[in-house]
Amino acid sequence: MSIEDLTGQGVTITPTGQSGAFGGELLTVNFGPHHPSTHGVLRLIVDLDGEQVKRVKPIIGYLHTGIEKQMEALRWQQGVVCTDRHDYLSPPINNLAYALAVERLLGVEVPPRAQALRVIMSELTRISSHLVWLGTSGIELGASSVLMYCFRERDTIMDMNEEISGFRMHTSYIRPGGVMADATPRFLDMLAKFVREMPRHVDEYEDLLTMNPIFRARTIGIGRLAPEVAKLVGASGPMIRGSGVAWDLRKVMPYSGYESYDFEVATHDGCDCYARYLVRIKEMREAVRILGQALDRLPDGPVNVDDRKMLPPPREELETSMEAVIHHFKLFTEGYSVPPGDVYVAVESGRGENGCYVSSDGTHKPRRVKFRSASFVNLQALERMALNHMVADLIAIIGTADTVLGDVDR
Amino acid sequence: MGLEDLADSLGQNVLTTTLGKVLGWGRGNSVWPAQFGLACCAIEMISTATAGVDIARFGSEAMRASPRQADLMIVSGRVSQKMAPILRTIYDQMPEPKWVISMGACASTGGVFNNYALLQGVDKVVPVDVYIPGCPPRPEDLLNALMILQERIKAQGIIAQ
Amino acid sequence: MIAEELITDKGVSAGDEWITVPAPRLREALAALKEDGYRLLVFLTCVDHLADASKQWPARFELLYELRDMEKLRDLRVRAFVDGEPPEIHSVHDLFPPANWDERETYDMFGVVFNGHPELTRILMPDDWVGHPLRRDYPVGGEPVEFSEEHETWLTPPTEA
Repeated sequence: MSIEDLTGQGVTITPTGQSGAFGGELLTVNFGPHHPSTHGVLRLIVDLDGEQVKRVKPIIGYLHTGIEKQMEALRWQQGVVCTDRHDYLSPPINNLAYALAVERLLGVEVPPRAQALRVIMSELTRISSHLVWLGTSGIELGASSVLMYCFRERDTIMDMNEEISGFRMHTSYIRPGGVMADATPRFLDMLAKFVREMPRHVDEYEDLLTMNPIFRARTIGIGRLAPEVAKLVGASGPMIRGSGVAWDLRKVMPYSGYESYDFEVATHDGCDCYARYLVRIKEMREAVRILGQALDRLPDGPVNVDDRKMLPPPREELETSMEAVIHHFKLFTEGYSVPPGDVYVAVESGRGENGCYVSSDGTHKPRRVKFRSASFVNLQALERMALNHMVADLIAIIGTADTVLGDVDR
Repeated sequence: MGLEDLADSLGQNVLTTTLGKVLGWGRGNSVWPAQFGLACCAIEMISTATAGVDIARFGSEAMRASPRQADLMIVSGRVSQKMAPILRTIYDQMPEPKWVISMGACASTGGVFNNYALLQGVDKVVPVDVYIPGCPPRPEDLLNALMILQERIKAQGIIAQ
Repeated sequence: MIAEELITDKGVSAGDEWITVPAPRLREALAALKEDGYRLLVFLTCVDHLADASKQWPARFELLYELRDMEKLRDLRVRAFVDGEPPEIHSVHDLFPPANWDERETYDMFGVVFNGHPELTRILMPDDWVGHPLRRDYPVGGEPVEFSEEHETWLTPPTEA
């Protein structure tokens, strides 16, 4: 017997054949894509034995945007815009993966000031992504004031984004060849103020949640992911660090100058939702530390590679130099070409290993761009983590996985 | 204590208006959105509901999870081919009078993504009242759209839609 | 150790090491590499080389498996070329659990059939979708845009607009 899907999606749901306690049937419930607590358009088919979850089957694809196909139709420099939008909570980190991949194929290296600015934007985004996670997870578990507190700080970060790039969210700031524009003095002042004040705000979030008996009861012991299982299913980010494995790409496979910053990898041995919460709080603190160091030793210099075949000349030069006009024209009509080859670059985002695989055939458009999405892989661990928990715990477990459906579906 | 004093005191305490204006005032000042956050615009929609911008000042206090208790559907984000029938189902489940705000470039026209996977504009499946451009629009843009919608609701009168 | 005879080609591309193995013996090669220490499958995908003039490719579809050794911190890319309608290869979901959904996605987007996969159904597109979107002969889709470089004549000529 199979249950036909009434929305016409063509999905056939077959019951597992298991029986519940006292020989009863399992109840199949649809956590539809339109749900307040699934962190996006995730659909779950859940088999319940009373209140206990016996099987969870995620169905994804409700946010499939065809980003990879779209990038094959856009030129190399235009593709940055699409990279912002798949993991929409950490746009500069996605930009960084793509930019590093293209730069590696081209064989260029960006100047030190650009690397430092890239680290600054990545860490700001990491904090902003964890703030959104904390706010929405809090409100799903019932702690509605946490949302207000977290989004207050996120607004500060959005103001900084706007100051440096003109955009609040999808900055497209980090591009192949460098960054979009230099940091303004006002940005550096805002950053200094943020670095001074953020630790106190993280203390506020901890005051609200860490020793809160309701929060602890809803997260301690829930959603266990043993370290061997985490490594087996390819989990990354706080999912694997919350199980005690100190795997952080910024330390083990550093990029963009991360090896020169002094920070700790946040791990916790609890393996449950509470451990992952503590890991993310600690990551916010470490990110503030990195920001302070980056701000202190921000080197002077250019922010872009000095290659006119890759980046347009400054507008003042267009008035006097014919060569500059030709470069400008070629770049904005045809774009630059990348030598044939392929490369994979992985960066550490708020969710885990977000990577960009780029394959070039020597023309001015990519042959294939593939995003290795941390949320896509972490979501596969959901089935193992949610077994034998209650339905209410399922919400806590989906929250702890911190999946961004844009990244899962691309 | 005469008739003139009575008329005076009543004049200060009694308002006269039309039924349409009262209905418009009531409906417009308490528009409850149904959460339909899909992608990046949803984060800015949550931002609108938080303390910095605070959509609750304008009456949208309760963002209802169930469409049956909501008046307004804010489609925030890109609508993929798989999601389109669900969007229509949720719209149909909302009781009259109902309005739709299409938030962001992807919901209004398909945005950056002109390809096979996305609906090029949510007005292909539901009728839209206000379109908000932007990728994503600022929280203040959503507030502006809500205020435009409120003007329209208040001007509507008794006959809905 | 992976047998030398299995490696038909190898090289380094922009700092990434890669090897090519024959498609029918892919499982053997990946099992040997897993014993070697490459126990994590980072991702698995496919590239369609239709109309790629940069070099002579052995077959149309190139399957890529990026393996990682978490102890020794080294990555290796394994390529396997498949052809056919539909192109077929063995599934490796039991060796590497992350391959489960990656193989479904590759089937959905390219039409590559993975023999031995427990549930090879579409994952990103609706279940009744026809065609495999990421193939090079599948159009990008979407709406035609007036005044773009994709076509030379008016789509809505001035007399009709």
